[in-house]
Amino acid sequence: MKRTLSVFAALAMALAACAPGTGATTASASAKASEAPVKGGTAIVAIWQEPSSLAPHYANQTVSDIVNYGVLEGLADTTTEGEYVPTLATKVPTVANGGVVVKGSKLDVTWELRPGLKWSDGSALTSADVRFTWEIFMKDPKVNNRTGFSEIESIDLPNGLTAVVHYRSLYAPYPRNFVALMPKNLLEKEADISKTDYNRKPMGTGPFKITDFKAGDSITLERNTNYRFGPDKPYLDKMIFKSVPTVEVALAQLKAGEVHAVWNLSASQTPDVEKDAAMALQVVPGPTVERIELNTAVNKENTDPNSVHPVLGDLEMRKALLYATPKQQLIDKLLFGKASPGTSPVSQGWAAYKVPQEGYDPAKASATLDKAGWAKGADGIRSKNGVRASLTYTTTTGDQLRERVQQVLLDEWKAVGVEVKIQNIPSSVLLSGSCASKDPRKLGTFDMVQFASAPGIDPHSTVEPRYSSKNIPTAANCAGQNYTRFKSPEADRAIEAAGATLDQAARKAAYATALKALNDAYVIIWLYDRADIDGRRAELRGWAPNTWQRFTWNIGDWFLKK
Amino acid sequence: MSRYIVRRLVQALPLLLAISVVSFAILKVTPGGPLAAYEGNPNFTDDDRIRLEHAFGLDRPLPIQYLSWFSGFLTGDWGYSFASHQPVLSLIFERLPATLYLMGTVFLVVLLLAIPIGVLTALKQYSAFDHVVTGATFTFLSTPTFWLGLLLIIVFGLDLRWLPLGGIATSGAPFDVGDRLRHLILPVATIALVQLGSHVRFLRASMLETIGQDFLRTARAKGLGERVVVLRHALKNAAIPLVTIVALDVPELFVGALVTEQIFGWPGMGRLFWDAATRSDYPVLQGILAVSSTLIVFANLTADVLYGYLDPRIRYS
Repeated sequence: MKRTLSVFAALAMALAACAPGTGATTASASAKASEAPVKGGTAIVAIWQEPSSLAPHYANQTVSDIVNYGVLEGLADTTTEGEYVPTLATKVPTVANGGVVVKGSKLDVTWELRPGLKWSDGSALTSADVRFTWEIFMKDPKVNNRTGFSEIESIDLPNGLTAVVHYRSLYAPYPRNFVALMPKNLLEKEADISKTDYNRKPMGTGPFKITDFKAGDSITLERNTNYRFGPDKPYLDKMIFKSVPTVEVALAQLKAGEVHAVWNLSASQTPDVEKDAAMALQVVPGPTVERIELNTAVNKENTDPNSVHPVLGDLEMRKALLYATPKQQLIDKLLFGKASPGTSPVSQGWAAYKVPQEGYDPAKASATLDKAGWAKGADGIRSKNGVRASLTYTTTTGDQLRERVQQVLLDEWKAVGVEVKIQNIPSSVLLSGSCASKDPRKLGTFDMVQFASAPGIDPHSTVEPRYSSKNIPTAANCAGQNYTRFKSPEADRAIEAAGATLDQAARKAAYATALKALNDAYVIIWLYDRADIDGRRAELRGWAPNTWQRFTWNIGDWFLKK
Repeated sequence: MSRYIVRRLVQALPLLLAISVVSFAILKVTPGGPLAAYEGNPNFTDDDRIRLEHAFGLDRPLPIQYLSWFSGFLTGDWGYSFASHQPVLSLIFERLPATLYLMGTVFLVVLLLAIPIGVLTALKQYSAFDHVVTGATFTFLSTPTFWLGLLLIIVFGLDLRWLPLGGIATSGAPFDVGDRLRHLILPVATIALVQLGSHVRFLRASMLETIGQDFLRTARAKGLGERVVVLRHALKNAAIPLVTIVALDVPELFVGALVTEQIFGWPGMGRLFWDAATRSDYPVLQGILAVSSTLIVFANLTADVLYGYLDPRIRYS
């Protein structure tokens, strides 16, 4: 009982801190006041991936999200600061406003829908649709994943506007559980939704509705006349998502004025856009961090997590590699300044941990190695007790940027006396995340591996599977993602404590403890935080950045200046 | 003749079966697999993987997977795409018109240009015209399509701004024949220039061989005009081998051009195959491979039969 009360109080404090706004997301982040929005027109967005399905429970591509921001809505949304705001709900339930009740290790969340909501076909949206969405996610065998939904025990519907969601655990990211509602009346009689029109043209409540899906060619969205901010919004009459083969072609079409917006440009393409006044860039710091992970166990298949890597097992060696890594130089020269030096896997949002790693200092790297007994041989490469400082460096094949980073680091590390051999592997193997597919990170068959990884919906889903010593992948249990074989009792304790509470301040402190322990072990070099770079024609206005969403998140606010 | 055709048809069946087994096996040993696309998602768990493997039937033994695909293929149920969950047959039919439109145009353009150019180069052997054409055909024959396509896009699309950069029509614009044709020019040119090279070479060689033959001297001795000699007597005979080549072009009409469709963002079969390949979408890949191998086997048979029909000197036993 006492525990319940303390959790209750902590939850109240934490959730009161992120008090939801009363307005709608899309309304709040609108264009500058000086620019009166213009109504009408068609905007064309180039997409260089082909969405295979747009149904929210099947979709598994960034490009599906990009299209669906115009169509689908859920109960709540995330602002660029990482706070929750209501979308179809009247407010985000918190302990303070009575919407959340903690019962032991369980959670009851009461959502109140805005009155008078309509699907784009004009039928009423009710709390039954909330429960139906959960049921579909749990029932359909082809659903992409069941994050959050699998934590729900039941959903009560006291009336048409209220849904009470009973979680069987303290599921902290509950506000982002229902990000896209599914229409019960349209789908409940379908035995298999994948065989219906909904698979390509899902019905939603957003500013637009999908009117045409031409595979391999284009997807057309037209104004939803039942939109709750209508008839003022959306400003545009029509949105066309045009399929192009590559991001290079997308940029070429943007230059030629054939499209109005392009998603996810590479840093090397930005100078081209910047020098042309007819185009504009939006660079949003992203939560995805590019890193080099160092294997502390012996480099062999199904490695013993307690074995010690002959070279990287030495803390001083790992320190020296970090000191000899010129992060800022990589960012300036290879990324055109469009990134920031990496600090941790949780660099954005309420739990952000942004204490920089030590800076570039090759002299210090050499001194560290000298002191640790790694003596330079005749060829300039160090060795200690007969072990040569020779390492392999793996990343995905065919990635030009990563290959250039490798070339720079190869020289830098050689200068301090560490020999590095490049051993790149196709991403379909390196990032397969599966022991059966021979992912070297899972098997432990690597010395240094460079890749990027996006954070999960909640910091816990980033920190726990990747840095708890329980989650070192082994032959018996391949599931974990602790690839460096990092073992710290302090970090383990902090991660466990963070998972047992909903108190945001306590969780933040616990993650900071764990991430500091991780950085103090020098097992990961955080290279840089990747930015999302999107380009548009200057006449397309109303854009706003959002770290947690894609650039089309406020598409209802976009307009074409005449 | 009919016995020959029947025998060839009977021989084709085990061949097609073997092709389908081999292509199935190659797909299966390709690293990654259809669930690789999900792995980047931090919310995708091992439970999800096991559930999807079961839903897609990937947890069954390989021979069973093959047999269930094969029996479905014979009965018209080609399975469902792992990525889009759409029926494979409808995905193919959806892309077929765009590919027929592109490749049909290429087919006509190549035929209409290859015959006069091939005949002229042969008649005016070692002339300046012949040298230019020979140089050009060898250049295009040895040019990779992806490079030629990009070059055409850069020159005519980006620099000169004469033609659109890709796609089948201007997005959002109402149907317009002129617009359609403008979108057609660059992709057709990319494929046609390369194909034209081989067809012109072929016809030139065959024409040169025919021109030196006795029956043409007889024709001229009879007092026939040069036009009649060339068109009615020489070309008719010289074109027989071309029929074989053209018959072998037919499968491409349906299968499309992988690289060109990808470069120009053409919504046809080539792009469907490309997208499916990058996602290890086995059912779609198997379906397209089965269609294309069947077409190629039958195009070969048709070419052989036609050759025998047009040239009575050839006898099949």
